[in-house]
Amino acid sequence: MKTIIEKIFSRGAGKDVKPGDYVWVNLDLVAMRDFGGPNVIQEYESMFGEHPVFNKERVAITFDLHVPARNEKVAINQRLLRDFTARQGVRLFDINTGIGQHILLESGLVKPWDIIVGTDSHMNLLSAAGAAGFGMGTTDIAGAMYKGKLWFHVPKTIKIIIKGKLQKFVTAKDVILYILKYLKTDGALNRAIEFSGETIEKMNLSERITMTSMVTEMSGDIGFIQPNQEVIAFIKSRTEEKVETITSDPDAVYEKVHEFSVDSLKPQIACPHSPDNVKEVTEVSGTEVNQVFIGSCTNGRLEDLKSAAEILKGKIIKRGLRLIIVPATMEVAKLALKAGLYEIFLSSGAVVTNPGCALCTTGHPGILAPGEVMVSTSNRNFIGKLGKGAQVYLASPATAAATALTGVITDPREV
Amino acid sequence: MIIKGKVWLFGDDVDTDQIYPGKYLPLTDKGEMATHAMEGADNGEDFIKHVKKGDIIVVGKNFGCGSSREHATVAIKGIGVSVVIAKSFARIFHRNAVNTGLPILELGQVEKIKKGDVLEVNIENGEIKNITQNKGYKAKPVSSLEMEIMKAGGLLQYLKQGIR
Repeated sequence: MKTIIEKIFSRGAGKDVKPGDYVWVNLDLVAMRDFGGPNVIQEYESMFGEHPVFNKERVAITFDLHVPARNEKVAINQRLLRDFTARQGVRLFDINTGIGQHILLESGLVKPWDIIVGTDSHMNLLSAAGAAGFGMGTTDIAGAMYKGKLWFHVPKTIKIIIKGKLQKFVTAKDVILYILKYLKTDGALNRAIEFSGETIEKMNLSERITMTSMVTEMSGDIGFIQPNQEVIAFIKSRTEEKVETITSDPDAVYEKVHEFSVDSLKPQIACPHSPDNVKEVTEVSGTEVNQVFIGSCTNGRLEDLKSAAEILKGKIIKRGLRLIIVPATMEVAKLALKAGLYEIFLSSGAVVTNPGCALCTTGHPGILAPGEVMVSTSNRNFIGKLGKGAQVYLASPATAAATALTGVITDPREV
Repeated sequence: MIIKGKVWLFGDDVDTDQIYPGKYLPLTDKGEMATHAMEGADNGEDFIKHVKKGDIIVVGKNFGCGSSREHATVAIKGIGVSVVIAKSFARIFHRNAVNTGLPILELGQVEKIKKGDVLEVNIENGEIKNITQNKGYKAKPVSSLEMEIMKAGGLLQYLKQGIR
């Protein structure tokens, strides 16, 4: 009678656990990135010196935030990580790879039941593959790398059932924004979520990633979706290890159950300055926009780029507007190239940059001037995150692409 | 451990970009990080200018939501704050505080505390005396696992001592 997180923590702890317990669990993978990573190394070496990590095959460093290095400070930090890799023999995914969690998924380092920690607050999107991913601070990651285990508080689980068929140009992003509108930014605080229902079951891996990544914005620990055959096939194609699916018990106990019907759902948009300030796109349509960003760990997969390309094909973006498109990983970029998406994007007037996190945080090229407005497919629009005084709206790749064509916030069903 | 200090108030859902703006993420020097604590929050600049060692931060719900940056707890501790009292904490911030030895307490009635109040806080049992208002509150006690880590001086010291 356990939920998915209770099962995973029971296995990791080697004993039966229940919500509210504080337990030590064994870890399957410890990851860090070019931001946070250098602090982890400093903490690790100042405390443990040259002591070997718990398992060098199970430590991964990914470069995704400031790639290539944008200034000397970042370059020094990246060098520090490369040097550590050379000393310790851990895995390194350098600047030519992409967003960490996506790289781990594509590299066969993630499978159902795994417990994975990393310095990225969106590590929990790995639950799209049935793994328990957790974003953590530098001390946690340094400790994890030393010992291969960490302490956890076992959360209660909230079940979210989603029913209905999505209309054309209404996407997983619109569904998760709609849920955020009701659950709010603290709606899943210290809780796990399990998404289920016919709408969810049909979703492909990219859509599942969009859903699970934004559990962070509800302050949730993690949001699981039971892997379907397509997801299991993807994981099996990447790893030699045994892949076992995961499901909650039929009599699992949930703290709450929410049900949403999405048959008539319209495109949604999160307005400044909170991911839960969600409206229908038509309520704010006509708002002038200076820049559009399509990418991020939430919406940077091939299917996301295809959705944007469908709208941009054969058209040119509004004069004066900047459109920046960033594939999540190099694998996605290569597939996009093969599918002819680069031709569509470049002909439309977009700037397509190398894979990475891009405009999800300050410090990446493309930052906004005070008062400027951006529509982004990312997951956060906190005040000041992309420049002081900037206004950031969060929406689907389809809404973002439609907006890029008109220069004002636009419902993708109208172009 | 008894702490006495003056209260600085901040609101609900104060995220990590307010506690420690993203533009300072490349900093690795803890002393330098401390000079930017709460810089992105309302009245953050006033706080940085006038905060004294031992002062106390009192906030609403979901304090420290947003990114996983530990700079947030390191900066708050570094600028001299002795304890953060909140209605609730975001998961990662909560972990980071325990792991870096920044005392935190959860208190349901935070709204009764006013800016400038002087509090006397017992970290071990959660008892809080409001000396200015002559009132008392009881915060939720910290779990024994977390207390062990804090007592060891943080997670890394705890692991190095081989307790686990």
